[in-house]
This record gives sequence, structure tokens and C-alpha cells, in this order.
Amino acid sequence: MLSTLIVLGVGLFQTQVIRGGHYRKASEQNRIRLIRLEAPRGNIFDRSGNLIATSRPAYNVYAVPEDFDPRDIPNLSQLLDLPEDQIRFRVSQARFASFTPVLLKQDVSKEMAMQIEERRPELAGIFIQIGMIRTYPQKEVAAHIVGYIGKISREEYATLDPSIYRYDTWIGRSGIERVFDTYLRGEDGGRQLEVNARGAPIRLLGEVQPRPGSDLHLTLDTKLEARLRPLVVNKRSAILVLNLKSGGLLAAVSTPGFDPNAFVTPGRSSERLSLMGSKERPLLDRGLNGLYPPGSIFKLVTAVAALETGTITPHTTFECPGYFRFGPKSRPFKCWFSEGHGRVDLYTALERSCNVYFYNVGRLLGEKRLADYAKKLGFGSEVPFELPTADGLVPDAEWKKNIRHDKWYPGETVTLAIGQSYLLVSPLQILRLVAAVATDGRVFQPKLVTDDFVSIKSEKKFSVRTETFKALRQGMLQVVASDKGTGQLARLSFTKLAAKTGTAQAPPGEAHAWFGGFFPYDDPEIAMVVFVERGKSGGITSGQIAKKVAHIYHDLYSPQVS
Amino acid sequence: MTSIVPRFLKGIYWPIVFLTVLLTVVGIITIYSASFRGSGDYASKQLVWFLLGLCVFFMTISVGYRSFLNLSYLFYAITIVLLIWVLILSEARSGAQRWIMIGSFAVQPSEFSKIATVLMLANFLSNRSAIQHQKRTLIATLVLVGVPAILVLKQPDLGSALVFTPVLVAMIFLWGAKLRYLISLFLAGAASLPLVWHVLKPYQQKRLLVFINPSIDPIGASYTAIQSKIAVGSGGLLGKGWLQGTQTQLDFVPEHHTDFIFSVIGEEFGFLGAIFLLFLFGLLIIYAFRIVDHTTDFRARLLALGIAMAFSFQIFVNIGMTIGLAPITGLPLPFISYGGSALVANFFAFGLLASIYKERSIF
Repeated sequence: MLSTLIVLGVGLFQTQVIRGGHYRKASEQNRIRLIRLEAPRGNIFDRSGNLIATSRPAYNVYAVPEDFDPRDIPNLSQLLDLPEDQIRFRVSQARFASFTPVLLKQDVSKEMAMQIEERRPELAGIFIQIGMIRTYPQKEVAAHIVGYIGKISREEYATLDPSIYRYDTWIGRSGIERVFDTYLRGEDGGRQLEVNARGAPIRLLGEVQPRPGSDLHLTLDTKLEARLRPLVVNKRSAILVLNLKSGGLLAAVSTPGFDPNAFVTPGRSSERLSLMGSKERPLLDRGLNGLYPPGSIFKLVTAVAALETGTITPHTTFECPGYFRFGPKSRPFKCWFSEGHGRVDLYTALERSCNVYFYNVGRLLGEKRLADYAKKLGFGSEVPFELPTADGLVPDAEWKKNIRHDKWYPGETVTLAIGQSYLLVSPLQILRLVAAVATDGRVFQPKLVTDDFVSIKSEKKFSVRTETFKALRQGMLQVVASDKGTGQLARLSFTKLAAKTGTAQAPPGEAHAWFGGFFPYDDPEIAMVVFVERGKSGGITSGQIAKKVAHIYHDLYSPQVS
Repeated sequence: MTSIVPRFLKGIYWPIVFLTVLLTVVGIITIYSASFRGSGDYASKQLVWFLLGLCVFFMTISVGYRSFLNLSYLFYAITIVLLIWVLILSEARSGAQRWIMIGSFAVQPSEFSKIATVLMLANFLSNRSAIQHQKRTLIATLVLVGVPAILVLKQPDLGSALVFTPVLVAMIFLWGAKLRYLISLFLAGAASLPLVWHVLKPYQQKRLLVFINPSIDPIGASYTAIQSKIAVGSGGLLGKGWLQGTQTQLDFVPEHHTDFIFSVIGEEFGFLGAIFLLFLFGLLIIYAFRIVDHTTDFRARLLALGIAMAFSFQIFVNIGMTIGLAPITGLPLPFISYGGSALVANFFAFGLLASIYKERSIF
């Protein structure tokens, strides 16, 4: 009989002394529940304090399985518009922690929430809890810039710090929401509860208050953008407006757009899928990340390169017979105006966007110097900006050898000079150039976030002489002011606007329409780029839109302009 | 008058008194910890039962075990009637019931049926010769033990029903049953296991399966086994301290003031406390078997052995089930678990032992 006691003693030694630590841990896990207190995500405001992204209360319906009466299921099913077996399944999932509430339905309407509250006496164990759901009150306006958030993916959960990112956490998916996620999310707090075997809380062991996420203030003007957006509805386009006084981006329209609420509202998943699968690519921010051949608007770059290298002066002239030949027998490169512009200087060449002038300049410069200046002016690399931007492509002989395994032909140099060839630029890169031209190189780095804690590394200024910028400004003024200028449709009654147009051939299909300009000419306040994919003509399509942009801006900001 | 008290206390086997009292006090302290957060004031109630038990203990000694042996058939018959009554009552209430209300006291007949059966067996076997008609006697014995065992099993109280088996085997062995009968009894028992299996309730079957393989049903039947093991294990060497056991205080271990009281001891007093308790039980078992050895009255030897066996078996199964060494069957830990009937019955049984010791030299 005593041997059985020895068996018990050995068993106790094994359980309590050898495995004691393991069981001690198990008992702690048993009794302590960590309740996460979610930190409210920071709001995102525009420059006037209008909300672009915030969190709204959502009514979530919960059931406490312990108090729940299964006889209420048919009633509840009708009330919540939820299949009966769904309710049964969710309640039964938690049968061993029957005091732990289970979520029945997320984000029900206020009316439904009220109905449930009214009928609470009959519906035992059912209650409404308010949770937060991200919302974007401006819908499509600023959607590309601000972005959206989404549920964390399995892969992200596996790689990210689990103390910050829980399995069901929301995380910035694009735009400001993604880049500034750590600022916006704050730090979740938590409550350590001691619970009994049925999950009923017994006492509070500890509590850490959540640290709310920081608010972000953007330079964007959502009122302006809301009025610009109708100008380009049903087009694939981008409008960028930059405040030259502050360097802040005022508007960044990209169409087609999307409603970011589709990504955060339960029950709009089919809309999400169609957005992501659409051939129109509504999620692409064309202004920041769209890459296109620039066409004639690139003549600004060619002009800078030629003036800076001393290849030409603004008064250097070339004869335009409507075409350009390397030799008497080589094939002609056409000017867009087949009758020819005659003898033109740089100003006139810019004004009328004479191809032949720039073919000649390009030939004199050579592909290498032209490409180097393009890169110096920020093409072919990402624009330093709060958000990721596309880098684009500036081709040269070396690139062609490495990538295309082919030699560089002189004909490619002259087409590069008028912005064709393999060139790919983003509207933001053009905006940057226009801004630098308008301000003698002072404004060359657009800003988006005004909060002090955000700093982006600043780039070196463009090393371009002010005379060069001045010559370009003169030419750009003539583009709009002259009756032969390609941008005359954008001429304004209230102030002088200077610009350069571009009509970029991109077969198959119509040409892309570019317009990059600034105003007032004498004391530039605004730089803008209007880009319309397959818009046929920079001067007509984009020029007309640009004029309306200027008018809308004037409407909103006239006290400052006049 | 002055001579009454010394005479009353003369020849008392004090170590048994000391040990049973000490165990009961440990029990009451633990019951307090296991139940002070709940509604029932079990510790005070147990104290009352303890005082009653002590009275029973001393009365039993002063009456002497012989009288109880002489009346054993009557006791046996009464407990059988009570067991049947319990079954009828639970049929009527459509729920398992193990007790009968007498006034405001809940009496659990199965606790008394164990000791009554031991008394009856000791009397029955000692009145029959082991030399003649052994088979007939053994069959009668089987029936006599089988009736209360099956009635208890029907309650359903698998643990208490199982106690009858080691008691029966030990007593017929001492009586002088032939080895072949013991073997065939063992074989018959093994052969009837499938039959017994079907008598068991589904939850009892599950408990047994879980004992063999605890991972069968981790949130169902294994839950108690796992939680009680966590409770005992988490006590470690020194324990979490009195009233500090989270596993029991927060209801993770069910029945912690009755069947699973040892998990409270293991959790709150640790390995040292649990070993100390085992030491006390060990001493008590040693004294019980010493009484078996030192008695010349054959009836008394049979009785003492039956009591010692029942007691040892309950200790092993009860403590074993809290650490996964025995299946969960639902047996109280003698002197420790809350329960008036069990405590009084235990004091009665040890009163019989003490009486056997006291009267060992009377021929």
C-alpha cells in the first residue's frame, strides 16, 4: 500500500517540481486576458483643416454566449439580415469562454442599432458596441494622395513586429496612409484582466492607455481639387497644382479616381475587386506615378541644356523649312507645321514649338549632354517627395547598348531633343521643372505634409543660371501671349500665364496632351501641369483645361491674386 | 464521576486520533480557500461535521467493534434500502442524486454502504470456513458485494463503486480463498469489462478514454484533467500560498472543495505541502495495517483490512486523478474533501480501527 504512495510522490515531483514552470505558465495564460485598446488612428486634414481621412463610429452587434437564448435566433436573423446558421455558428464558437462576446455583425446602420437597443429586454445577451471604421469624407477627392488602409495580410503579419501589428490590424495600403502609417496609428494600449474559467472578468490587473495616432496636415486644398475634378471627368488625366510661394502641392487630381471608402467599408469587397481589376487603372496616381513620353514640353529641357552649355544663345536662329535633314540624301524629320516656321530664334521656337529648331539644337548638343541635363533636372529618377514617385526613363547611348543591345543613331538624338524617343516622364517631374523655371530654381521640391515631424531629405538645387530660366520664362510667356503661340487657348484675362505645351506621339492611339505653366508671369504664385492621356493636342485639350484651372484658382484665391 | 473520563479515554490509540484530526483540520483550511469566494460556507459546515465525526469516533470506541459486527447485517440492509431509495428519488427528480435529505442534512448513503459492506463481509466470511464449500461462500460473497456496488454505480458513482473491488479481493484473500478462485475471479472480472462498459454513462466512458489518451477531447472531458494538472503543477515546490491559487479560485478546476480538493493543496501549498499530506496519509495507512497485524480476532482482522484497503484505494485514486495517474471517477479524498457523510463515515471506520486496537487483548 505504501508503494502506491511512493508512486503518487514521484508523480507529484514530476508534475510540480520538474514540470512546475510549464504549468505555472499555463495557469497564468489561463487566467489573464489581454484586451487590446485600439489607438484611434490620426486624422488627415487639408490645408484649411478640412478632414480628408478620419474614423467614424461603427455599430457592431455582439452576443454574449452565456446570456444568449437560442430561441431568439429566428428573430435576430430577421433583424440583422443574417442567416440563422451563421448566428448559431458564431455563438457556438465561443462555448468554452462563454462570457467573451462574439461579433455577430459589423457596421450595421444606425436604425438597425436603435432597433436592437429598443428590443434589448427581449434579446438576452445581445448588445451593440461602437467600434471605429476609417472613413474618407471627401471620397474621390485627394484619394490617390491620401490612399487607404486595409487588413494586414498573412505574410505581413509573419514579418512585422507582432507587438504593434496584430493579426486583425489595419495597415496603410497606399499613399499617405501607407507612408505615414507609424505616425497615424499611434500605440495601442491594453487592459490586463483576470478572468475566471467562464471568461467573466474578476478584476483589472493593469491598464495601459492607448496613445492616439498623430494627425497629419497636408498642403492640399480639397475645395480646389473638388472643383478641378469635374474638368477631367471621363478622361484619363492628371492635374497638378503647386503653390510656388510655399512649395506645397495644392491639388493632385488623377482620373479615373476611386472612392477609398470601398477599401474600408465592410460589404464593399466586390467594388474593391473591380477597382483593382479595372483596365482604366483608377488606382494609379497618374500625376505621381504615370509615365509617358513628354513630347514638346521636353523642349524646355533641351533649351536649358543648350543655353547652359553655351551651345546657343536665346538669339541663335535656325531656318525651319518644315523639315530637318542630316545630309542631302538622309530622310527628313518633319516639323509639326509642314509649311515651316522660317528663321526662328529660341523664343519663337518655344512659342510655336518648332521641331526643326530643336532638331538642330539636339544635333549640336549630342545625346550625351542632353541626357545628362535631363537627369540633372530630375528626369529619370524619383522626385524627392513624401510619397513614392515613378522614376521614368532618360535614354542615352549607354542605356541603349545595355538594355536594347543596339547602337544609338543620330536620328534618335534629334527626336530626343523634341521629347520623343524612349523618354518617359511623370507629370510631377514636369511640374518640378516648370516650378524651377518660374522661380529661378528656388522651388524645385514639392511638399505635401506641413507637420514639423515630417522631413524629407532635401535635394541639391538645379545648377542652372538665372539667365537661362529667364529666357525660358520669356519663351513660355510667348507660348500663351502670342497669337501664334501653341498655348494661346489658355490665355487669361486677369493675369499673364506662361506655359509650354506638349503633344506626345505614342502610337498606337492618339497623342498625349501636355500643358505645363505658371502664373502670374511677373510674380509666379502657381505652377501647374495638365496631362490628358490620349488627349490629342496639348495646346487644345490641356490648354483649355489649364485655363479653367486658373479661373477656378482665381475664384477661390482672388484676394491673394489681385 | 471523576473516573469516567480516564476510563473512557483509556486504551485510545492516540496517533490515529492525532492524524485524523490533523487531516480534517488541513481539510477545513483547504475547503475554506476553495470556497470562500463562493456562496456556501463549506468550511464552517465541515467543522460541524468534524465535531459530529469526533463524537461518532469516540462513541464507536466505547461501544466496541464487536457490537457493530453483530449488527452488521442490519446496517447492510439499511444501507441497501437507502441506496434503492436514492435511486427511486433520482428517477422521480429526473436527475442524478447521491443523497437523501434528513431534515436539513444531506446524507449520502454510498459513503455508509462502503463501511456497512466491509462490516458485513468481515462478519459473513469469519462465520464460514475457508476449508469447506469455498465456492458457495465466494459466490454468496460476490452477490453480497455486487448488490451495493451496482446500486452505487447506478447513481452514477463510478469511483465509490470501484472501491468495493480491492476491498473484496483483499478480504477474501485474507479469509483464505484458493488461488484458483482468485484467478478465475480476476478473469471473470476482466471478461465482464465490456459489459460494465455499457453500463457506464457516456460521460464516464469518455473520462476513461481521456485517461488513456488525454488529447481525445481537450475542451470537453479532458478539460478537467488538464486544468487540475495545471493547478497542481503550477504550485511548484512551495505553492502559490493559501487563498492564492488562481486555478481553483477562478473555477478552472471544478469540484475543487470536494473531489478535486487535492488540486487546491497542490496549487496553494506546492510540492512540499502535497508531500507532507502524503506523509500523513502514509502514517495513517501504516497504523491501519499495524492494527490488522496486531489483532488476533479474525473478524477484527478482516474488518481492519477492509477499512485499510478502502481508505488506501481512495487516497490513491483521488490524488492520482488530479495529476493524471488515475482516471477521473469522482471519489472524495478521505478526511480532506468537503462532505459530511464521508467525514462521519471515515471517523466511524477509524473508530472501529481504534476499537480493534483497544480491545486487541480481550479474548
